[in-house]
Amino acid sequence: MKTTGWQPGACAIAGIGTTDFSRDSGRSDLTLAVQAVLAALDDAGLAAAEVDGIVRCDMDLVRHNDLAEALGIRRLSYWGECGPGGVAPCAMVGQAVGAILSGQAATVVVFRALNGRSGRRYGAAPASARQETVGGNVTYDEFFLPHGLLTAGQMFALMAQRHMIEYGSTPEQLGSIAVACRDRAQANPAAQMHGRPLTMEDYLSARMISSPLRLYDYCLETDGAAAVVVTSAGRARDGRGGAVLIQAVAQASLPGTQPGTMFPVLMRDSITSLSSRAVAEVLWARSGLGPADIDVAQLYDCFTITLLLQLEDYGFAKRGEGGAFAADGGIGMDGPLPCNTSGGHLSEGYIHGMNHVVEAVRQIRGTSTAQVPGAEVSLVTSAPPPASSALILTADR
Amino acid sequence: MTTAGRLAPATSDPDTGGFFAAAARGEVTLRYCAGCGALLHLPRAYCWHCGGWDTGYRAVAPRARVYSWTVVEHQVHPAYPVPYTVALVELADEPAARLVTYLPGKPALYPGQELRARFERLENGTVLVQWRPAGAGDEAG
Repeated sequence: MKTTGWQPGACAIAGIGTTDFSRDSGRSDLTLAVQAVLAALDDAGLAAAEVDGIVRCDMDLVRHNDLAEALGIRRLSYWGECGPGGVAPCAMVGQAVGAILSGQAATVVVFRALNGRSGRRYGAAPASARQETVGGNVTYDEFFLPHGLLTAGQMFALMAQRHMIEYGSTPEQLGSIAVACRDRAQANPAAQMHGRPLTMEDYLSARMISSPLRLYDYCLETDGAAAVVVTSAGRARDGRGGAVLIQAVAQASLPGTQPGTMFPVLMRDSITSLSSRAVAEVLWARSGLGPADIDVAQLYDCFTITLLLQLEDYGFAKRGEGGAFAADGGIGMDGPLPCNTSGGHLSEGYIHGMNHVVEAVRQIRGTSTAQVPGAEVSLVTSAPPPASSALILTADR
Repeated sequence: MTTAGRLAPATSDPDTGGFFAAAARGEVTLRYCAGCGALLHLPRAYCWHCGGWDTGYRAVAPRARVYSWTVVEHQVHPAYPVPYTVALVELADEPAARLVTYLPGKPALYPGQELRARFERLENGTVLVQWRPAGAGDEAG
Protein backbone atom coordinates (compact mmCIF):
# COMPACT_ATOMS: atom_id res chain seq x y z
CA MET A 1 0.00 0.00 0.00
CA LYS A 2 1.21 3.53 -0.81
CA THR A 3 1.65 5.65 2.28
CA THR A 4 1.16 9.02 0.55
CA GLY A 5 3.99 10.94 2.14
CA TRP A 6 3.14 10.35 5.79
CA GLN A 7 5.94 11.66 8.05
CA PRO A 8 6.45 9.28 11.01
CA GLY A 9 7.28 11.01 14.27
CA ALA A 10 7.20 14.55 12.85
CA CYS A 11 4.66 15.55 15.48
CA ALA A 12 4.21 14.57 19.09
CA ILE A 13 1.82 14.67 21.99
CA ALA A 14 3.30 17.18 24.42
CA GLY A 15 0.67 17.13 27.13
CA ILE A 16 -2.27 15.15 28.48
CA GLY A 17 -5.11 16.04 30.79
CA THR A 18 -8.38 14.69 32.13
CA THR A 19 -11.06 15.65 34.58
CA ASP A 20 -12.40 13.25 37.15
CA PHE A 21 -14.80 10.64 35.77
CA SER A 22 -18.21 10.42 37.41
CA ARG A 23 -21.92 9.82 36.99
CA ASP A 24 -22.81 13.41 37.79
CA SER A 25 -20.13 16.03 37.28
CA GLY A 26 -22.30 18.95 38.36
CA ARG A 27 -20.45 21.07 35.77
CA SER A 28 -21.18 22.11 32.22
CA ASP A 29 -19.64 20.36 29.24
CA LEU A 30 -17.70 23.55 28.62
CA THR A 31 -16.26 23.59 32.13
CA LEU A 32 -15.22 19.95 31.74
CA ALA A 33 -13.50 20.78 28.44
CA VAL A 34 -11.69 23.77 29.95
CA GLN A 35 -10.49 21.72 32.93
CA ALA A 36 -9.13 18.89 30.78
CA VAL A 37 -7.41 21.27 28.35
CA LEU A 38 -5.88 23.35 31.15
CA ALA A 39 -4.53 20.14 32.68
CA ALA A 40 -3.05 19.10 29.32
CA LEU A 41 -1.47 22.52 28.78
CA ASP A 42 -0.03 22.51 32.30
CA ASP A 43 1.37 19.04 31.66
CA ALA A 44 3.02 20.34 28.48
CA GLY A 45 4.27 23.51 30.17
CA LEU A 46 2.36 25.69 27.73
CA ALA A 47 0.03 28.62 28.27
CA ALA A 48 -3.43 28.79 26.73
CA ALA A 49 -2.31 31.89 24.84
CA GLU A 50 0.12 29.70 22.87
CA VAL A 51 -2.67 27.51 21.47
CA ASP A 52 -3.57 28.36 17.88
CA GLY A 53 -5.52 25.26 16.87
CA ILE A 54 -8.47 23.26 18.22
CA VAL A 55 -9.90 19.96 16.99
CA ARG A 56 -13.24 18.74 18.35
CA CYS A 57 -15.52 15.72 17.97
CA ASP A 58 -18.67 16.32 15.97
CA MET A 59 -20.85 15.12 18.85
CA ASP A 60 -19.27 17.45 21.41
CA LEU A 61 -21.54 20.22 22.65
CA VAL A 62 -18.47 22.47 22.95
CA ARG A 63 -17.54 24.27 19.73
CA HIS A 64 -14.09 25.60 18.90
CA ASN A 65 -15.12 29.19 19.61
CA ASP A 66 -16.67 28.22 22.96
CA LEU A 67 -13.38 26.72 24.06
CA ALA A 68 -11.25 29.53 22.60
CA GLU A 69 -13.33 32.13 24.42
CA ALA A 70 -13.36 30.23 27.70
CA LEU A 71 -9.59 29.66 27.64
CA GLY A 72 -8.69 33.17 26.50
CA ILE A 73 -7.12 31.98 23.27
CA ARG A 74 -6.49 35.17 21.32
CA ARG A 75 -5.20 33.96 17.98
CA LEU A 76 -6.95 30.81 16.82
CA SER A 77 -5.80 30.11 13.26
CA TYR A 78 -7.10 26.56 12.79
CA TRP A 79 -10.02 24.45 13.86
CA GLY A 80 -11.32 21.12 12.73
CA GLU A 81 -13.84 18.45 13.51
CA CYS A 82 -13.97 14.67 13.16
CA GLY A 83 -16.63 12.05 13.63
CA PRO A 84 -19.05 10.56 13.90
CA GLY A 85 -18.63 10.25 17.63
CA GLY A 86 -16.23 7.57 18.77
CA VAL A 87 -14.61 7.32 15.36
CA ALA A 88 -13.01 10.67 16.13
CA PRO A 89 -10.21 10.70 18.72
CA CYS A 90 -7.31 9.20 16.78
CA ALA A 91 -8.49 10.97 13.63
CA MET A 92 -8.64 14.22 15.61
CA VAL A 93 -4.96 13.79 16.51
CA GLY A 94 -4.31 13.11 12.82
CA GLN A 95 -6.10 16.29 11.86
CA ALA A 96 -3.94 18.22 14.33
CA VAL A 97 -0.84 16.72 12.72
CA GLY A 98 -2.15 17.79 9.31
CA ALA A 99 -2.68 21.33 10.53
CA ILE A 100 0.82 21.50 11.99
CA LEU A 101 2.66 19.96 9.02
CA SER A 102 0.79 22.19 6.59
CA GLY A 103 1.70 25.29 8.58
CA GLN A 104 -1.84 26.17 9.61
CA ALA A 105 -1.14 25.89 13.33
CA ALA A 106 1.74 25.17 15.71
CA THR A 107 0.03 24.08 18.92
CA VAL A 108 -3.25 22.22 18.62
CA VAL A 109 -5.55 21.16 21.43
CA VAL A 110 -7.58 17.99 20.84
CA PHE A 111 -10.39 17.41 23.32
CA ARG A 112 -13.60 15.52 24.12
CA ALA A 113 -15.98 16.59 26.86
CA LEU A 114 -19.34 15.10 27.71
CA ASN A 115 -21.84 14.73 30.49
CA GLY A 116 -22.49 11.26 29.15
CA ARG A 117 -24.34 10.06 32.25
CA SER A 118 -26.06 13.09 33.76
CA GLY A 119 -26.71 14.67 30.36
CA ARG A 120 -27.35 13.00 27.04
CA ARG A 121 -26.94 9.24 27.50
CA TYR A 122 -25.66 7.44 24.42
CA GLY A 123 -26.99 4.13 25.70
CA ALA A 124 -30.55 5.44 25.45
CA ALA A 125 -32.75 5.50 22.39
CA PRO A 126 -31.82 8.41 20.11
CA ALA A 127 -33.57 11.74 20.56
CA SER A 128 -35.30 11.20 17.22
CA ALA A 129 -37.20 8.28 18.79
CA ARG A 130 -39.24 10.82 20.76
CA GLN A 131 -40.91 11.73 17.48
CA GLU A 132 -43.70 9.63 16.04
CA THR A 133 -42.05 9.39 12.64
CA VAL A 134 -38.39 8.50 12.37
CA GLY A 135 -35.76 8.39 9.67
CA GLY A 136 -35.33 9.93 6.27
CA ASN A 137 -32.91 12.74 5.45
CA VAL A 138 -29.98 10.36 4.86
CA THR A 139 -30.27 8.81 8.33
CA TYR A 140 -31.75 5.53 7.01
CA ASP A 141 -33.18 5.14 10.51
CA GLU A 142 -36.56 4.39 8.90
CA PHE A 143 -35.30 0.85 8.23
CA PHE A 144 -34.26 0.21 11.83
CA LEU A 145 -35.89 2.21 14.64
CA PRO A 146 -39.50 1.17 13.84
CA HIS A 147 -38.43 -2.46 14.34
CA GLY A 148 -37.22 -1.75 17.85
CA LEU A 149 -33.53 -1.56 16.95
CA LEU A 150 -32.86 1.55 18.98
CA THR A 151 -29.39 1.51 20.51
CA ALA A 152 -25.78 0.83 19.67
CA GLY A 153 -25.79 -1.94 22.25
CA GLN A 154 -28.58 -3.77 20.44
CA MET A 155 -26.70 -3.45 17.15
CA PHE A 156 -23.48 -4.81 18.64
CA ALA A 157 -25.53 -7.62 20.16
CA LEU A 158 -26.51 -8.66 16.61
CA MET A 159 -22.82 -8.64 15.71
CA ALA A 160 -21.89 -10.68 18.79
CA GLN A 161 -24.61 -13.24 18.06
CA ARG A 162 -23.39 -13.54 14.48
CA HIS A 163 -19.80 -14.01 15.71
CA MET A 164 -21.08 -16.84 17.90
CA ILE A 165 -22.91 -18.35 14.90
CA GLU A 166 -19.90 -18.14 12.57
CA TYR A 167 -17.10 -18.99 14.97
CA GLY A 168 -18.59 -20.46 18.11
CA SER A 169 -17.47 -17.63 20.35
CA THR A 170 -18.78 -17.90 23.90
CA PRO A 171 -20.16 -15.68 26.67
CA GLU A 172 -17.13 -16.63 28.76
CA GLN A 173 -14.84 -15.21 26.06
CA LEU A 174 -16.71 -11.90 26.09
CA GLY A 175 -16.63 -12.04 29.87
CA SER A 176 -12.86 -12.41 29.88
CA ILE A 177 -12.63 -8.98 28.24
CA ALA A 178 -14.92 -7.39 30.84
CA VAL A 179 -12.93 -9.02 33.64
CA ALA A 180 -9.54 -7.99 32.20
CA CYS A 181 -10.62 -4.34 31.92
CA ARG A 182 -12.04 -4.46 35.45
CA ASP A 183 -8.77 -5.91 36.74
CA ARG A 184 -6.84 -2.98 35.23
CA ALA A 185 -9.22 -0.52 36.89
CA GLN A 186 -8.31 -1.92 40.32
CA ALA A 187 -4.90 -0.26 39.95
CA ASN A 188 -6.31 3.04 38.69
CA PRO A 189 -7.82 5.28 41.39
CA ALA A 190 -9.35 7.49 38.67
CA ALA A 191 -11.36 4.60 37.24
CA GLN A 192 -15.03 4.53 38.15
CA MET A 193 -14.81 0.79 38.85
CA HIS A 194 -11.76 1.14 41.10
CA GLY A 195 -12.42 -0.88 44.22
CA ARG A 196 -15.18 -2.90 42.55
CA PRO A 197 -13.59 -6.10 41.24
CA LEU A 198 -15.49 -8.36 38.85
CA THR A 199 -15.35 -12.15 38.64
CA MET A 200 -16.45 -14.35 35.75
CA GLU A 201 -19.26 -15.56 37.99
CA ASP A 202 -20.39 -11.95 38.49
CA TYR A 203 -20.24 -11.41 34.74
CA LEU A 204 -22.26 -14.50 33.86
CA SER A 205 -24.90 -13.95 36.54
CA ALA A 206 -25.50 -10.29 35.62
CA ARG A 207 -28.75 -9.47 33.87
CA MET A 208 -29.08 -9.79 30.12
CA ILE A 209 -29.43 -6.41 28.39
CA SER A 210 -29.72 -7.47 24.76
CA SER A 211 -28.67 -11.06 24.22
CA PRO A 212 -25.98 -12.25 24.04
CA LEU A 213 -24.72 -9.08 25.74
CA ARG A 214 -25.04 -8.80 29.51
CA LEU A 215 -24.67 -5.83 31.82
CA TYR A 216 -20.87 -5.94 31.98
CA ASP A 217 -20.48 -6.15 28.22
CA TYR A 218 -21.54 -2.50 28.24
CA CYS A 219 -19.26 0.44 28.92
CA LEU A 220 -19.87 3.12 31.52
CA GLU A 221 -21.80 6.20 30.48
CA THR A 222 -19.61 8.87 32.04
CA ASP A 223 -19.34 12.56 32.80
CA GLY A 224 -15.84 13.85 32.11
CA ALA A 225 -13.34 15.15 29.62
CA ALA A 226 -9.92 14.32 28.23
CA ALA A 227 -7.52 16.35 26.13
CA VAL A 228 -4.09 16.23 24.53
CA VAL A 229 -1.77 18.89 23.14
CA VAL A 230 -0.25 18.16 19.73
CA THR A 231 2.76 20.03 18.39
CA SER A 232 5.91 19.40 16.38
CA ALA A 233 8.26 16.81 17.84
CA GLY A 234 10.97 19.45 18.20
CA ARG A 235 8.74 21.80 20.15
CA ALA A 236 7.44 18.96 22.33
CA ARG A 237 10.99 17.97 23.28
CA ASP A 238 11.48 21.42 24.78
CA GLY A 239 8.32 21.14 26.85
CA ARG A 240 7.73 19.95 30.39
CA GLY A 241 6.03 16.73 29.31
CA GLY A 242 8.59 15.72 26.69
CA ALA A 243 7.69 14.26 23.31
CA VAL A 244 5.61 11.16 22.77
CA LEU A 245 5.99 10.67 19.04
CA ILE A 246 3.05 10.20 16.72
CA GLN A 247 4.48 7.36 14.65
CA ALA A 248 1.37 6.91 12.54
CA VAL A 249 -2.28 7.84 12.34
CA ALA A 250 -4.85 6.25 10.08
CA GLN A 251 -8.49 6.59 9.31
CA ALA A 252 -10.30 4.40 6.84
CA SER A 253 -13.65 3.12 5.75
CA LEU A 254 -14.45 -0.12 3.97
CA PRO A 255 -15.68 -0.58 0.43
CA GLY A 256 -19.44 -0.83 0.78
CA THR A 257 -19.21 1.22 3.96
CA GLN A 258 -22.99 1.97 3.93
CA PRO A 259 -24.62 5.33 4.68
CA GLY A 260 -25.95 6.75 7.95
CA THR A 261 -24.23 6.95 11.30
CA MET A 262 -24.77 3.51 12.80
CA PHE A 263 -27.36 0.84 11.99
CA PRO A 264 -26.73 0.60 8.19
CA VAL A 265 -23.40 -1.12 8.89
CA LEU A 266 -25.56 -4.22 9.47
CA MET A 267 -25.97 -4.30 5.67
CA ARG A 268 -22.23 -4.81 5.04
CA ASP A 269 -21.04 -8.08 3.58
CA SER A 270 -19.72 -9.09 7.01
CA ILE A 271 -20.82 -7.94 10.46
CA THR A 272 -18.12 -9.90 12.29
CA SER A 273 -15.42 -7.61 10.97
CA LEU A 274 -15.33 -3.84 11.33
CA SER A 275 -13.92 -0.90 9.41
CA SER A 276 -10.92 -1.45 11.69
CA ARG A 277 -9.61 -3.99 9.20
CA ALA A 278 -9.25 -1.19 6.63
CA VAL A 279 -7.65 1.08 9.22
CA ALA A 280 -5.18 -1.64 10.15
CA GLU A 281 -3.95 -1.89 6.58
CA VAL A 282 -3.23 1.85 6.40
CA LEU A 283 -1.78 2.00 9.91
CA TRP A 284 0.70 -0.84 9.44
CA ALA A 285 1.79 0.56 6.06
CA ARG A 286 2.37 4.08 7.39
CA SER A 287 4.14 2.98 10.55
CA GLY A 288 6.24 0.21 9.03
CA LEU A 289 5.13 -1.81 12.06
CA GLY A 290 2.93 -4.83 12.57
CA PRO A 291 0.92 -6.50 15.33
CA ALA A 292 4.01 -8.14 16.82
CA ASP A 293 5.63 -4.73 17.36
CA ILE A 294 2.86 -3.38 19.61
CA ASP A 295 3.79 -3.36 23.31
CA VAL A 296 0.45 -2.15 24.67
CA ALA A 297 -2.94 -1.26 23.21
CA GLN A 298 -5.95 0.83 24.14
CA LEU A 299 -8.68 -0.73 22.00
CA TYR A 300 -12.01 1.05 21.71
CA ASP A 301 -14.39 -0.83 23.99
CA CYS A 302 -17.87 0.59 23.88
CA PHE A 303 -18.79 -3.09 24.29
CA THR A 304 -16.70 -6.21 24.89
CA ILE A 305 -17.53 -7.49 21.42
CA THR A 306 -16.06 -4.32 19.88
CA LEU A 307 -12.69 -5.11 21.42
CA LEU A 308 -12.92 -8.76 20.42
CA LEU A 309 -13.58 -7.90 16.78
CA GLN A 310 -10.64 -5.49 16.69
CA LEU A 311 -8.26 -8.17 17.99
CA GLU A 312 -9.02 -9.94 14.73
CA ASP A 313 -9.20 -6.87 12.50
CA TYR A 314 -5.74 -5.65 13.58
CA GLY A 315 -4.24 -9.10 13.21
CA PHE A 316 -3.52 -9.87 16.87
CA ALA A 317 -5.68 -12.97 16.55
CA LYS A 318 -6.78 -15.01 13.58
CA ARG A 319 -10.27 -14.45 12.19
CA GLY A 320 -12.74 -16.06 14.57
CA GLU A 321 -10.16 -16.49 17.33
CA GLY A 322 -10.38 -13.11 19.05
CA GLY A 323 -12.44 -14.55 21.87
CA ALA A 324 -10.02 -17.38 22.51
CA PHE A 325 -7.10 -14.92 22.39
CA ALA A 326 -8.71 -12.82 25.13
CA ALA A 327 -9.85 -15.80 27.23
CA ASP A 328 -6.36 -17.31 27.12
CA GLY A 329 -4.90 -14.22 28.75
CA GLY A 330 -3.88 -12.52 25.51
CA ILE A 331 -4.98 -9.07 26.67
CA GLY A 332 -3.75 -9.42 30.27
CA MET A 333 -0.66 -7.78 31.74
CA ASP A 334 1.41 -10.92 31.14
CA GLY A 335 -0.09 -11.61 27.73
CA PRO A 336 1.20 -10.68 24.28
CA LEU A 337 -1.06 -7.61 24.10
CA PRO A 338 -1.86 -5.88 27.40
CA CYS A 339 -5.03 -3.91 26.66
CA ASN A 340 -6.95 -1.01 28.12
CA THR A 341 -4.57 -0.51 31.00
CA SER A 342 -6.59 2.28 32.61
CA GLY A 343 -9.67 0.06 32.68
CA GLY A 344 -10.96 1.31 29.34
CA HIS A 345 -14.48 2.42 28.58
CA LEU A 346 -15.70 -0.71 30.32
CA SER A 347 -14.21 0.12 33.71
CA GLU A 348 -12.51 3.55 33.72
CA GLY A 349 -15.07 5.61 31.84
CA TYR A 350 -16.49 6.34 28.44
CA ILE A 351 -14.94 9.54 27.17
CA HIS A 352 -15.75 8.43 23.66
CA GLY A 353 -12.23 7.16 22.93
CA MET A 354 -10.30 10.19 24.13
CA ASN A 355 -9.21 8.73 27.51
CA HIS A 356 -7.64 5.91 25.48
CA VAL A 357 -5.31 8.41 23.78
CA VAL A 358 -4.32 9.83 27.17
CA GLU A 359 -3.59 6.36 28.57
CA ALA A 360 -1.53 5.43 25.51
CA VAL A 361 0.69 8.46 26.20
CA ARG A 362 1.10 7.41 29.84
CA GLN A 363 2.33 4.01 28.72
CA ILE A 364 5.12 5.59 26.66
CA ARG A 365 6.02 7.91 29.53
CA GLY A 366 6.03 5.00 31.98
CA THR A 367 3.36 6.58 34.20
CA SER A 368 0.39 4.25 33.81
CA THR A 369 -1.09 2.68 36.93
CA ALA A 370 -0.83 -0.62 35.03
CA GLN A 371 2.48 0.07 33.36
CA VAL A 372 3.82 -2.35 30.76
CA PRO A 373 7.54 -2.42 31.56
CA GLY A 374 9.59 -0.68 28.90
CA ALA A 375 6.65 0.01 26.58
CA GLU A 376 7.90 1.85 23.50
CA VAL A 377 5.13 1.22 20.95
CA SER A 378 1.60 2.08 22.03
CA LEU A 379 -1.53 1.53 19.93
CA VAL A 380 -4.85 3.38 20.29
CA THR A 381 -8.00 2.73 18.32
CA SER A 382 -11.11 4.83 17.90
CA ALA A 383 -13.74 2.61 16.60
CA PRO A 384 -16.78 1.90 14.62
CA PRO A 385 -19.42 2.29 13.34
CA PRO A 386 -19.33 3.44 10.57
CA ALA A 387 -15.59 4.01 10.04
CA SER A 388 -12.67 4.11 12.42
CA SER A 389 -9.27 5.56 13.15
CA ALA A 390 -6.13 4.52 14.97
CA LEU A 391 -2.85 5.88 16.20
CA ILE A 392 0.57 4.49 17.08
CA LEU A 393 2.67 6.38 19.62
CA THR A 394 6.36 5.67 20.13
CA ALA A 395 9.02 6.65 22.60
CA ASP A 396 11.39 9.46 21.60
CA ARG A 397 14.63 7.51 21.72
CA MET B 1 -51.86 -7.11 11.76
CA THR B 2 -52.28 -3.59 13.16
CA THR B 3 -50.15 -2.08 15.87
CA ALA B 4 -50.58 1.01 18.05
CA GLY B 5 -47.96 3.30 19.50
CA ARG B 6 -44.84 2.20 17.69
CA LEU B 7 -42.41 4.44 15.84
CA ALA B 8 -43.44 4.93 12.23
CA PRO B 9 -40.87 5.24 9.46
CA ALA B 10 -40.58 8.37 7.38
CA THR B 11 -42.14 7.31 4.09
CA SER B 12 -41.56 10.43 1.99
CA ASP B 13 -37.79 10.34 1.68
CA PRO B 14 -36.99 10.63 -2.05
CA ASP B 15 -34.41 7.82 -1.87
CA THR B 16 -36.20 5.32 0.35
CA GLY B 17 -39.92 6.13 0.18
CA GLY B 18 -40.55 3.65 -2.62
CA PHE B 19 -39.81 0.75 -0.28
CA PHE B 20 -42.64 1.81 2.03
CA ALA B 21 -45.01 2.60 -0.83
CA ALA B 22 -44.49 -0.95 -2.09
CA ALA B 23 -44.98 -2.36 1.43
CA ALA B 24 -48.37 -0.61 1.53
CA ARG B 25 -49.23 -2.60 -1.62
CA GLY B 26 -48.11 -5.81 0.05
CA GLU B 27 -44.80 -6.11 -1.79
CA VAL B 28 -41.23 -6.52 -0.63
CA THR B 29 -39.06 -4.49 -3.00
CA LEU B 30 -35.42 -3.59 -3.37
CA ARG B 31 -33.91 -0.79 -5.40
CA TYR B 32 -31.90 -1.75 -8.48
CA CYS B 33 -30.07 0.03 -11.29
CA ALA B 34 -32.07 -0.29 -14.50
CA GLY B 35 -28.90 0.04 -16.56
CA CYS B 36 -26.59 -2.59 -15.08
CA GLY B 37 -28.87 -4.42 -12.67
CA ALA B 38 -26.78 -3.66 -9.57
CA LEU B 39 -28.54 -3.93 -6.23
CA LEU B 40 -28.67 -0.53 -4.50
CA HIS B 41 -29.33 -1.41 -0.87
CA LEU B 42 -29.90 0.52 1.30
CA PRO B 43 -31.83 2.42 -1.37
CA ARG B 44 -30.19 5.37 -3.10
CA ALA B 45 -30.69 7.17 -6.39
CA TYR B 46 -27.30 6.85 -8.10
CA CYS B 47 -25.53 3.70 -9.30
CA TRP B 48 -21.78 4.07 -8.90
CA HIS B 49 -21.21 0.78 -10.67
CA CYS B 50 -22.24 2.15 -14.07
CA GLY B 51 -22.81 5.84 -13.43
CA GLY B 52 -26.54 5.48 -14.03
CA TRP B 53 -29.37 7.49 -12.52
CA ASP B 54 -32.11 5.24 -13.91
CA THR B 55 -32.89 3.24 -10.79
CA GLY B 56 -36.07 1.88 -9.27
CA TYR B 57 -37.79 -0.68 -7.08
CA ARG B 58 -38.38 -4.28 -8.06
CA ALA B 59 -40.37 -6.86 -6.15
CA VAL B 60 -38.52 -9.80 -4.65
CA ALA B 61 -39.89 -12.97 -3.10
CA PRO B 62 -41.32 -12.35 0.39
CA ARG B 63 -38.98 -14.94 1.82
CA ALA B 64 -35.89 -14.52 3.99
CA ARG B 65 -33.59 -16.36 6.36
CA VAL B 66 -32.40 -15.57 9.87
CA TYR B 67 -28.90 -14.06 9.83
CA SER B 68 -28.62 -12.90 13.45
CA TRP B 69 -30.85 -11.81 16.31
CA THR B 70 -30.95 -10.28 19.76
CA VAL B 71 -33.51 -10.63 22.53
CA VAL B 72 -33.91 -7.17 24.06
CA GLU B 73 -34.37 -7.49 27.82
CA HIS B 74 -33.53 -3.92 28.88
CA GLN B 75 -36.22 -1.47 27.88
CA VAL B 76 -35.17 1.82 26.30
CA HIS B 77 -38.44 3.03 24.74
CA PRO B 78 -42.00 2.94 26.09
CA ALA B 79 -43.43 1.73 22.77
CA TYR B 80 -41.16 -1.32 22.80
CA PRO B 81 -41.85 -3.26 26.01
CA VAL B 82 -39.41 -6.05 26.77
CA PRO B 83 -38.76 -8.78 26.11
CA TYR B 84 -38.84 -8.56 22.34
CA THR B 85 -36.58 -9.79 19.59
CA VAL B 86 -34.87 -7.96 16.75
CA ALA B 87 -33.71 -10.21 13.94
CA LEU B 88 -31.43 -9.39 11.06
CA VAL B 89 -32.58 -11.29 7.98
CA GLU B 90 -31.11 -11.96 4.54
CA LEU B 91 -33.54 -12.08 1.63
CA ALA B 92 -33.98 -15.42 -0.12
CA ASP B 93 -33.77 -13.91 -3.62
CA GLU B 94 -30.98 -11.53 -2.74
CA PRO B 95 -28.77 -12.72 0.13
CA ALA B 96 -26.65 -9.56 -0.20
CA ALA B 97 -29.66 -7.57 1.01
CA ARG B 98 -30.56 -7.60 4.68
CA LEU B 99 -33.45 -6.08 6.61
CA VAL B 100 -34.32 -6.04 10.28
CA THR B 101 -37.55 -7.21 11.83
CA TYR B 102 -39.34 -6.96 15.14
CA LEU B 103 -40.61 -10.19 16.70
CA PRO B 104 -42.74 -10.16 19.84
CA GLY B 105 -41.35 -11.99 22.84
CA LYS B 106 -38.54 -14.50 22.67
CA PRO B 107 -39.28 -16.86 19.78
CA ALA B 108 -36.88 -19.75 19.28
CA LEU B 109 -34.72 -18.81 16.28
CA TYR B 110 -31.82 -20.48 14.55
CA PRO B 111 -29.40 -19.34 11.83
CA GLY B 112 -30.76 -19.88 8.36
CA GLN B 113 -34.31 -20.37 9.62
CA GLU B 114 -36.85 -19.62 6.88
CA LEU B 115 -39.05 -16.58 7.28
CA ARG B 116 -42.03 -15.13 5.47
CA ALA B 117 -42.91 -11.45 5.08
CA ARG B 118 -45.82 -10.04 7.07
CA PHE B 119 -47.19 -6.60 6.38
CA GLU B 120 -47.83 -4.75 9.61
CA ARG B 121 -50.10 -1.70 9.45
CA LEU B 122 -49.22 0.95 12.03
CA GLU B 123 -51.77 3.27 13.59
CA ASN B 124 -50.93 6.05 11.14
CA GLY B 125 -51.49 3.73 8.17
CA THR B 126 -47.83 3.17 7.36
CA VAL B 127 -47.00 -0.44 6.55
CA LEU B 128 -43.88 -2.15 7.83
CA VAL B 129 -42.39 -5.30 6.35
CA GLN B 130 -41.92 -7.74 9.20
CA TRP B 131 -40.64 -11.30 9.06
CA ARG B 132 -42.02 -14.34 10.85
CA PRO B 133 -40.95 -17.99 10.93
CA ALA B 134 -42.38 -19.85 7.95
CA GLY B 135 -44.91 -22.58 8.62
CA ALA B 136 -48.11 -22.53 10.59
CA GLY B 137 -50.27 -19.51 9.83
CA ASP B 138 -48.52 -18.71 6.57
CA GLU B 139 -51.71 -17.47 5.01
CA ALA B 140 -52.79 -15.39 7.98
CA GLY B 141 -50.75 -12.25 7.28
